[in-house]
Formats: sequence, C-alpha cells, structure tokens
Amino acid sequence: MREPSGEVFDLGYQHYNGPREGRARARKALWMNGVRTALGLGRGSRAKILPVMLFIFAMAPAVIMTLIVSVAGSGETLPTHADYYRVISIVLLLFSAIIAPELLCSDKREGVLFLYLVRPLTITDYLAARVLAFFSITFAFICTGQVILFIGFTLAASEPLNYLRDSWLDIPRFLAAGVVIALFTSLLPLAVSSFTTRRAYATAFVIGVFFISAPLVTGILTESGTNTAPPDELPEQRESLGESEPLVGDAAKWYALLDIRQVPTHVSDLIFDEENESQVAKLVNELPTVIPILWYLLLTAGSGFVLWWRYREMRA
Amino acid sequence: MTPLLEAKQLTKRYGSTIALESVDLKVYEGITGLLGANGAGKSTAIKLFLGLLKPTSGTAEVMGQESFESVEVRACLGYMPEHDCLPSSLSAAEFLTHMAEVSRLPTIHARTRAADVLRHVGLAEERYRALGGYSTGMKQRVKLAQALVHDPTIVLLDEPTAGLDPRGREEMLDLIWRTGKECGISLLLSSHLMGDIEHTCDRIIVLEGGHVMEEGAVSGLTSETQTILIELETKRNEVLGILKGQGIKATVEGSLIVVELEGEEQYDAMRDAIVGAEARLRRLTPRRHTLSEVFQDTAS
Repeated sequence: MREPSGEVFDLGYQHYNGPREGRARARKALWMNGVRTALGLGRGSRAKILPVMLFIFAMAPAVIMTLIVSVAGSGETLPTHADYYRVISIVLLLFSAIIAPELLCSDKREGVLFLYLVRPLTITDYLAARVLAFFSITFAFICTGQVILFIGFTLAASEPLNYLRDSWLDIPRFLAAGVVIALFTSLLPLAVSSFTTRRAYATAFVIGVFFISAPLVTGILTESGTNTAPPDELPEQRESLGESEPLVGDAAKWYALLDIRQVPTHVSDLIFDEENESQVAKLVNELPTVIPILWYLLLTAGSGFVLWWRYREMRA
Repeated sequence: MTPLLEAKQLTKRYGSTIALESVDLKVYEGITGLLGANGAGKSTAIKLFLGLLKPTSGTAEVMGQESFESVEVRACLGYMPEHDCLPSSLSAAEFLTHMAEVSRLPTIHARTRAADVLRHVGLAEERYRALGGYSTGMKQRVKLAQALVHDPTIVLLDEPTAGLDPRGREEMLDLIWRTGKECGISLLLSSHLMGDIEHTCDRIIVLEGGHVMEEGAVSGLTSETQTILIELETKRNEVLGILKGQGIKATVEGSLIVVELEGEEQYDAMRDAIVGAEARLRRLTPRRHTLSEVFQDTAS
C-alpha cells in the first residue's frame, strides 16, 4: 500500500507581510485592466467580437493598399501612409465610440469606481490609466497597419534598399500621426462617457457628433445639401438646375473645421506634408497652417479637461 | 491607546442639510459599531473617514492623517460599501487579484492573497465563476473579501447585512466577528439594526441627527438590571408558588421566571425555593439592558 506523501493544513487567515510597491503598481494594474476590458480578455466571447472586428478593419486597408502597390504600374497614383490614416481614422472613430465608453461607464454603473477611489491612488491616476489603456490599443492597431504598409511598400519597390533610404522618414511621421489620431479618438469618447453611466448613450452621442457633423458641414458648404462641387465649376449648369450657390469665401473655410471626423486627419496630412483631395480638406488648407493644429489641440485638450473636471467632482 | 480613526469637530453639510455637526469621536482597535437610524449620518461619517467626502469643517483622521488629503493612508483602509460594487463579467478571483494590485501588491502576491481571502470568506470553490451569477449572500462575501485583500489595518463596513435573509445575516455577522476576533483586523461596522451591533461589536457609537448620542463599550451600555431571570428544566410552577408565598414579586415570561429583586437576601430565598421544589436549574442570571432599550432611551 502506498504511504501518504503529504498533508494539508488549514492555517486559517494569514496577515500579508510581503512587499508593497509604489503608485506605479496601481496605475499599471488599472491600465492593464483597461486594456483587458477594451479587448474583452477574461470576459465572454461576445465581448471579443468588436475588438476582433476593429483589428480586422484596421489591417484590411493596409493589406489592400500593399496589394495595390505591388500590382500597380509605375505611372499610376499609388496609395500613401497618409491615405491609410484617412481611411482608418473613420473606422477608428466608429469603433472607439462603441468600445471606449465601456472603460468608464461600467465602473460607474457597477459601483467599482468607489472601490478605486478609496485605494491609494488619485483620480488623475485612474483617468490617465484608462485613457492610456484605450490609446495603447488604438495606437498599436494603427501602427501595426502602417508597419505592414511600410514593409509592403519596401518589398514592392524595384530597389528596396533605395526605397528604405528615401522613405525612412515615413516611420517617425506615421508614429507621430498615429499618436495624433489615437489620442483624439481616445479622449473624445471618454470625455462624453464621463456624463453618463450608460454605454449606449455615450456611443450614440459620439457617433452623432462624428458622423452627423460631416453631412452637416457639407450641407452648410453647399446650402442645397446636394452639390459638393467647387464653386467655380459649372455655374451655368447649377443655375439651370435651380440649385443655390455653394458657400464660398472665408466663412466656408471656418465652417469646414466643424467636420469633427476630419480634425485629426488635417494634422496627419500636415505631418506627412500631403494634400487631401476632399472638399473639406481643401477649404481647411486655405486657412493658416496653425489653425487646424490649434483646433485639434483645443478639442483634444478640451476633452481631457472635461474628463478630469467631471471626475474631480466625485471626490468633494 | 492611539485611536485608529478620530473625528474632531467634524461637520458635513449638503447645502442647507446638516449630515454631521461638530462630531467628536474616536475608534480604537477591535470591533466598533456605528448605530443609527436612516439619515443619522453613518454613511457620511464613513465616507469622510475614507476621504470620499471633504469635511465642511473639522477633520476626519485615519491614524493621525487626514484621509481626504493623504493618498498613502488609504493603503491602511478597507471599505465594504452598502451598494453594489462588483463587476458582473469578472470572476471573484480575477477581481480580487486586480483590487490587490491596485492596492500595490505585486501580481504574484496579489493572486495568492486573493485565493487566501476568498477561502476565508468561504468562496474557495466558486472563485472562478463570474460575479454576475452570484447570490446576494455570496456578493456580500466578495465585497468583504475585496475590503480585506490588501490586509488593511481597519475595515469600514457600511450596512454589511443589507438585503440578506435571517440565515444569511447570521452567517455574515459570524464572518465579521471571526474577521475581527480571529484575524485581528479592526472593524467599524455601521448598521441601523441593533441586533447586528449588539452581537458583533465591542464598542458602540450611537448617531442621531448628525450628533453622537452615546458612546462606549457594549457591555457597559447593556448594564445589569435589578431583575433576575430563572430558567428551570422542571417544576417551574412549584418554584413560582414558593416564591410568591414568601412575598417575592415573581412573574412568568415565556419559559422564564422573572423576579424583581428587592434585596440581596432574596437570592437565598430563590436558592431555597429551587432546592425545596427539587427543580433542575438551567440558569439564574441578572437581566441586562438591551441596546434597543438604550437606543430608545437615548432617542427619547
């Protein structure tokens, strides 16, 4: 017969005498928890659907653009890193509107926030960790797309080494533009989320702001809401169709800034030093360069301030 | 003895409503009960000590430091709120590990600690189930576990038996008592139920309308009365007859004979009556005031 090789003792409750780390430990735990929440890790399969879709939609344009570059002839217009951001920023805005509110709304709705507030960390630690968590995910996704694109462009070039030598500056550019886009798409939905405990309300509001501002601006610029052609094109035809004149001049340039969806891509285009062909971008380009940058900073910093101000009230 | 919590002239107003006014109180090691009706200021006092609220005037100190100002002192505090505070999609083990990490424990220690504390509250088997599927009693245990996971010096429990059935309430109070007595963690327990406080706490602070009405050891408040309770297994009526025959004021209350004591010599008479009737004695004890009586006296 086999002899017993061990014995289990119930020592009861034991006090903790191990190490305790600094505030960075608490911030890291909140950041990691935010990343896991946003990606649906440790949760049911339904929580993973949206992050997986975001990843697929972030990678798809990069793969398609790489394929276009690899089969295109030398005389054709080829997609660029800036083009990728123009496409991906809209996808990113849509997904951030749906996923980002979960990071803040559920903590308030389920009461977990109070448990964080009585822990040894500040409300600024909490907010910074949450913003950074969503920023990390979006930045990682879009930079992965840009890396795929860069590798694709390099391999598709007739002289890969020459391409690398001529285009290495694209790497810091797409990293900087990635920060600009990821920060904007993280802060705005989170600022909206600070006003509600319901994720659906925050999502609806953010999607409304992002996607209604675009047709609204186009409508203002064309007045009739149907014609987005430049004002100097075919005036007789427009008159014969009974359409009103599109809004032109200084006012149009400023109204163009109201298309919130394109605010980060104006700055991204400046970083890549490329011109966007869209009507809104052309109008914004007529403004002094500093204006779209200041507008971006105002909206981003404003969102950050609103977020901090809303949560600051909770400890009073 | 240095108090763990100390309020000095603590006042909290919400607009024109006064939640606490010039309150001075001290909470020492052991289990302290904070008793009061709804709106007496219990939750406000707890939130002031936790640093969740800023005092209108005065100070709420935790081990000599103002909790609203000091982030570091919160590492010594645990909090079990009255309201829901559990994320439904996480398992108890993952949630507790996370809360331990937020309280600055390294990950590997946080995992061990989470498992230990869940075993202490009796949830070792269910620790990998999502919290959304837990019963009210189990959720209360997880709430207590998250307050203990970082091994705080003092834990503040806000209405820990709220929403529990009588059996669940008894089990929760037993768990709280064991946490205080066997684990050596000081507790401040708020409740509007006198039974909760009476059976669990060493000391009591009675709040009423934002003021401290009574403060002291539970045994001191529930002092002995001049009434003697006799519990017999047999021959109750015969003993009652003998006592009345000797002119002693004796009545029956349920299974007990209740004697209004008029002099020390009546103890001998009671002994003789029991021996004379050959009754089997189970208990002969002075009656103590209940907290209910104390609270009613204080309120009136």
